[in-house]
Amino acid sequence: MADVINIQMPLWQLPLFILIPVAVLAAGVVWLRRIAHNRSSPGEDRDWSVPPLTDAAGVSLFHRWDVRCKIVTILVYSFVIASLSHLASALAAIGISLLILVITRASFAKVVLRLLAITGFVSMFLVVMPFSAPIHNGDTVLVFNGMNWLGFNLRGLRLAATIAAKAVAIALLMEPLLSTAPLPVTLHGLSRLGAPEMVGQMVLLSYRYLHVFRHEARRMSFGMQVRGFRKRMDLETLRAVGNFIGMLFVRSFERTERVFDAMQARGYRGRFPEPVELCLRTKDLLLAAAWLAAGAALIAYDRIAW
Amino acid sequence: MHEPLGPIQQPALDAPLFSMRRVFYRYPDDTQALSCIDLDVACGDRIALVGQNGSGKTTLIKQLCGLLMPTAGEVLYKGEQLKEEHLYRNRLEIGLLFQDPDDQLFGHTLLDDTAFGPRHQGLSREDAKQVARQALQRVSLLDMAYKAPHNLSFGQKKRAALAGLLAMQPNVLILDEPTSNLDPHQEEVFLSLLRDFSGTLICISHDLIFLYELCDRAVVLDHGRIHHDYTLRELVSQRQSLREHGLDFSFRLVHSGSSCDQNKSKPLDGPHRIPTLPDVSEGKSLVFLRDYHYRYPDGTHALHGINLSIHDGERISIVGENGAGKTTLLSCLLGLRQGLGEFRFAGRLMTRRWRKTLWRQVGMVFQDCADQLFCPSVREEITFGLHQLGNSRDESSKRLTQALSMVRLEGFEERVPLHLSGGERKRLALACVLAMKPKLLILDEPTAGLDPQGEEMLLGILCNLNVTLLIVSHDMFFVKELTHRTLVMHKGRILEDMPTHAFLEDERLGNLNELSYTYRQRSSSAILTMQHKHEHRHLHHHLHTHRHRHGEVEHNHFHEHVHEHIHRFTHIHPMDEKNHDHIPRRYHDHDHPGHESEDHDHDPPEHENETDDHQ
Repeated sequence: MADVINIQMPLWQLPLFILIPVAVLAAGVVWLRRIAHNRSSPGEDRDWSVPPLTDAAGVSLFHRWDVRCKIVTILVYSFVIASLSHLASALAAIGISLLILVITRASFAKVVLRLLAITGFVSMFLVVMPFSAPIHNGDTVLVFNGMNWLGFNLRGLRLAATIAAKAVAIALLMEPLLSTAPLPVTLHGLSRLGAPEMVGQMVLLSYRYLHVFRHEARRMSFGMQVRGFRKRMDLETLRAVGNFIGMLFVRSFERTERVFDAMQARGYRGRFPEPVELCLRTKDLLLAAAWLAAGAALIAYDRIAW
Repeated sequence: MHEPLGPIQQPALDAPLFSMRRVFYRYPDDTQALSCIDLDVACGDRIALVGQNGSGKTTLIKQLCGLLMPTAGEVLYKGEQLKEEHLYRNRLEIGLLFQDPDDQLFGHTLLDDTAFGPRHQGLSREDAKQVARQALQRVSLLDMAYKAPHNLSFGQKKRAALAGLLAMQPNVLILDEPTSNLDPHQEEVFLSLLRDFSGTLICISHDLIFLYELCDRAVVLDHGRIHHDYTLRELVSQRQSLREHGLDFSFRLVHSGSSCDQNKSKPLDGPHRIPTLPDVSEGKSLVFLRDYHYRYPDGTHALHGINLSIHDGERISIVGENGAGKTTLLSCLLGLRQGLGEFRFAGRLMTRRWRKTLWRQVGMVFQDCADQLFCPSVREEITFGLHQLGNSRDESSKRLTQALSMVRLEGFEERVPLHLSGGERKRLALACVLAMKPKLLILDEPTAGLDPQGEEMLLGILCNLNVTLLIVSHDMFFVKELTHRTLVMHKGRILEDMPTHAFLEDERLGNLNELSYTYRQRSSSAILTMQHKHEHRHLHHHLHTHRHRHGEVEHNHFHEHVHEHIHRFTHIHPMDEKNHDHIPRRYHDHDHPGHESEDHDHDPPEHENETDDHQ
């Protein structure tokens, strides 16, 4: 059995092992944000008289794929990715996800925004795991100035990179899952797969009213700021924030009641009208089978080749 | 407050569409909202449901569409009690438009939302979409059919909400404050759409000028009871009754000219008078913006090259269509947003550091005052800002008393802001800001959601303030009464910066900025005429013609003579005076039955062409 390889490093290099990855990640985040911002800046307003997915619908398989098949396939495939244990296969999964993004012509800006959303989570792994991974035989550890308790484990770094790669591969698939069909259709498909219909309705309404509540919260926050409120570490701040959250809750509750009234007034009796009629075809099943076969191949590669 | 009328005069109805029979409603918290409501609504009625904030209007319309069930009594629709299957079936014929369109637009896209009702009426997916498209076409939103509701402007949301109802082709349309917060152009669009609706219409609004254009019948609610049920013309012409119910909007009709026009020096006819315009030719600006731009994070260019100078003591209004950039400009002045360009306050360049201290000198009352009220008591609400300013307890207490007195809310210290009426909340929000003694006071749509009594009270308070004032409003009456100077904004730019009286006289600007006031002026004149039509006995001259004799000669010619008789005519009273003199007039154009038989002289004819000058 191989021993642990300790590589002695001068102390001054320690910050580099922390700061350089953090700086690279921060630069990456700034770059991605800039890209997302530039891509999402309004230029010519699009034509809202036609469905947003019309253009891609004619060319992308994903847009025409039965939504139930799509959900099941991507869900199963995501579990496949999560079960990978080697960096190379996780990188291959990213490659497949990127290929799917190209096929679906997904919005680059939205993809970037999704990646940004998981940046904090991924960064934490990359920074913490090399220092916290248990040292096994055969590991290579960088030791700074003889401080063995603060070893930088390269296996830990590889493990963190594998987790990050898997997270990225799955996050990249969310865009093809959610943006190749309108949300009501996706939720309808979910309910047809057995998810409670009420959950789908709640998600749909939450999505709609999230923006409204966000605007309300922002206006209330402005209302506090113009009267001098600044967050501090004291009881007054806690009290003010408590009042703010309480008032936001009261307003949200009142709005919920009014929305329910409005729905009832237009004939709602517990069910939303079905947005589309779902129809399962052979080619939908074939596409699901092909994709899952790719997933099986990925697992095989992960298990056998390494 | 007077007692309600005895038996309410109901129009003769063969088969009322709605019948409310001795309806009572009590909320779970024991608030009695409706008491002994007897109301018949005939097919095709156009009813204005009016009353002060909290009088029970919204509760009543919720009874009409079965969202609330009466505690006692019954609500009949087409002769059958509105409950269970009859309710579910017929609710689809009754369209209810909510005050806040966000409550009603719960669909993923505009088309989904508009088709929601028709789908529940049993239409197929394709048919429902077709009907929805037609409805969107009617409200001029077809080109936004696939847009998400949260991406629409407020006016568009209002129209979209109406489209959702029109798509259901309802027999009855019930509207709760349909025009609140709309700019005049959007308001006129809305009015036109509602005029075209041929079914039964029930409309709640504090805007009696709007209702005058739309409705025939008025039902006045007061403390949950129906106090009057008569024609809208009768309602608006009886100023005393309007005043008793807090609905007297007549202060808006008194023609004061441009109150801030110092050159004309014309005193206000109304009870309010704003401080005179300070001399702004010298001295530093309180606010100075040069080539100021602001762009939202999503890239939307909200302000373009704003150049603005506000001097101490000035009263300025900002007008413009929804989305013109008014509120963004206010956010920049408050330091909540940082744009590009030069911004100085009291001569100091507003860098990032100084911007954060602007709240000490600039106060703002938001359009929806609920956005700035979050404390559990009025006392805490007002002292919140004072505490942030670092005032001592004694000083805070003194300012609290002063501020409450200024806004006429004495004794409200321990009340819960959430439980106050709309007008009281607005005044509380103002008190919170006034207590901090800002150099610049900003008001965003101060009259939004207020009943006429609340508006009049607010006007009085604002007129008496001695502070630099910046108002954003669609309400031209408030603009006229409160400001010296008007900025016209359009698509993020200040198009014009001119005296308010000049702006109000400039029809070109109104059209350019889509701020149309024509129907308001027309209705105001008509209402004014009705309010001042009454009988007087006084000496006056007649110039008229009838056959009469001069000795042996009988002939027909114009002649003038003076006599006294009871006489009904229209004219303007200064304010609300009941006893007033009428100087003997010259000529009245009116019938004079029996005049031939009266004893009167026939002097040589005078062929003057003067007309009645009473109006």
